[in-house]
Amino acid sequence: MTALGTQAPPVVPRRARRRGTVTRRTLRALGIVLLAIPLLAAVVGPFLAPSTAAGGIPLQGPGSEHLLGTDVLGRDLLGLLLRGGTTVVTLTAAALLLAYLVAMPIGLVVAARGRIVETITIGLLDVLLALPSLLVLMVLAATGRRSVVWLVLAVAFVQLPHVVRLVRGAAAAPACVAALETMTMTGEPWWRVRIVETGRRVLPPTIVDATTRVSGVVGLLSSANFLGAGLDPLVVDWAVVVDQNMTALFLRPSVVLLPAGLLVALCAGTNLLVDDLLERRS
Amino acid sequence: MTTRAGVRIGIALLQLVAVSVGVFVLTTFLPGDTAEVVLGPLATVDQIDTLRAQLGLDRPVRERFLDWAGGLLHGDLGTSLATGRPVVDDMGDRLSVTVLLAVLAVVVLVPLAVALGCYGGRRPGSPADRIITATSTVAQAVPDFALGLLLVALFALQLGWLPATAAGTVGLTGLTVAMLVLPVAILVSNQLSRLARQVRIGVVETDTAEHVVHLRRLGLAERTVVLRHVLPGGVVPSVQQFARTVDGLLGGVIVVEALFALPGIGSGFVQAVQTRDLPVVQGYALLFALTTVVVNLVADLVSAKLVPQAVRL
Repeated sequence: MTALGTQAPPVVPRRARRRGTVTRRTLRALGIVLLAIPLLAAVVGPFLAPSTAAGGIPLQGPGSEHLLGTDVLGRDLLGLLLRGGTTVVTLTAAALLLAYLVAMPIGLVVAARGRIVETITIGLLDVLLALPSLLVLMVLAATGRRSVVWLVLAVAFVQLPHVVRLVRGAAAAPACVAALETMTMTGEPWWRVRIVETGRRVLPPTIVDATTRVSGVVGLLSSANFLGAGLDPLVVDWAVVVDQNMTALFLRPSVVLLPAGLLVALCAGTNLLVDDLLERRS
Repeated sequence: MTTRAGVRIGIALLQLVAVSVGVFVLTTFLPGDTAEVVLGPLATVDQIDTLRAQLGLDRPVRERFLDWAGGLLHGDLGTSLATGRPVVDDMGDRLSVTVLLAVLAVVVLVPLAVALGCYGGRRPGSPADRIITATSTVAQAVPDFALGLLLVALFALQLGWLPATAAGTVGLTGLTVAMLVLPVAILVSNQLSRLARQVRIGVVETDTAEHVVHLRRLGLAERTVVLRHVLPGGVVPSVQQFARTVDGLLGGVIVVEALFALPGIGSGFVQAVQTRDLPVVQGYALLFALTTVVVNLVADLVSAKLVPQAVRL
């Protein structure tokens, strides 16, 4: 917080601020731990996981054969937990990557090509905002378009308006424009100045923005999976497992709560760290 | 001001047209045969052809769209494939539940967000501020259904304080306050962070602003300074965010209603998706889009009134 020139009295006493720093470090550590557990499960898990073939005795308690017991379909719960994160993490990464790859050039061109292009593009994209994201995924599912490809396309698509707006805003930032005016005057072609150079400058804030969208995308994907509008029920995925085992919530809560807990940890950990990152930048 | 408002309303109308085209494209124009999907893999060719004729899928796209749009103008959204009832009737019954949920959520959310945002904003960087921010960020990040399950496991299964589901209620009959506690809590926790954060930023700014510092120097009671000067300055910029919050509440009910079997428009939509009831899906999609457009329109008009330079048109 920079008080502009004036000697504003410190709002918080120094000791409280020091305690604030301690709280901040604690929260960061918490974020790292929360994120590490599901991420490790998603990346390393599949290599260690026991088989998740269906057909065992359903809802077995923890035992020597099945360390955490089995789910309603008789699959090994530990195996489901270790295998179920890969889809969420990969799909999130793919959708975000696609969204930014498409939105970056659009945003840069829009920022470079003046008012009319800008008004039309942003107006069109704003229409997209009127449809709740989950609704788009569910309508696609209702009309039979529910492969991985459609899922990634749809999730990327609903991110577009936000990202284009962000890139356009960042590209028009005063510091950016002032530095690039010189290049224009020395006779560089417009695309070199407005797309390549501006793009390079816009990249850092864009990456930060991408991290803030991670938990939203994870939430969107897993909600769709939970409502049966996402991945195929045969795919092992935390949210799909939760959906399939909802009937067992009263009998054996762990079958539902463990995969749900991993999703919670993934989202919560990400956001705690992103918050920390944002604060360090500001 | 009047011309500005006129332009803004015109944009909203254009958005509505574009959205209805969008919904139509999404449901009928994309590759894949809807009739086959609706009937599933066991359907005969005859059945598929009959349904196609019934949905009008055998006619040219342009004609279909004009027909559908014409129906919209008369408030006719077609009839449900599953129940044979007009889609509009079904919506009316369910809307009351969803609106009740949203209103309750707002009643809890707004004072809470203002209180937390104000408390944290007056002590920026302190442990309390950081914990408030972190908790609400985490609550927002957690997917609704996962948070819902954890709450159900705790309050319904473990402690037995609240019912786990509202299954069996129709419309508002049979709905008890206890059934609404957890759904409202989830909706609030999901939206709290953004609103509280916005209020906090506003409060931080006004709390250290020249005129407020001066008021303190003049010896005004801290209470008066906060309530009459800091708070209003902090809350006005949050109107836009509040609109997004209301919109988020209406969109967020999809998961919450499905989870608790509340008979609102969200669960109606989920059911329609699961039974592949296309006219109903289209109807609800339009309804959700309509609420977004209207809510944003109202927010823009209100904030333009409060802070004239806030809206660039």
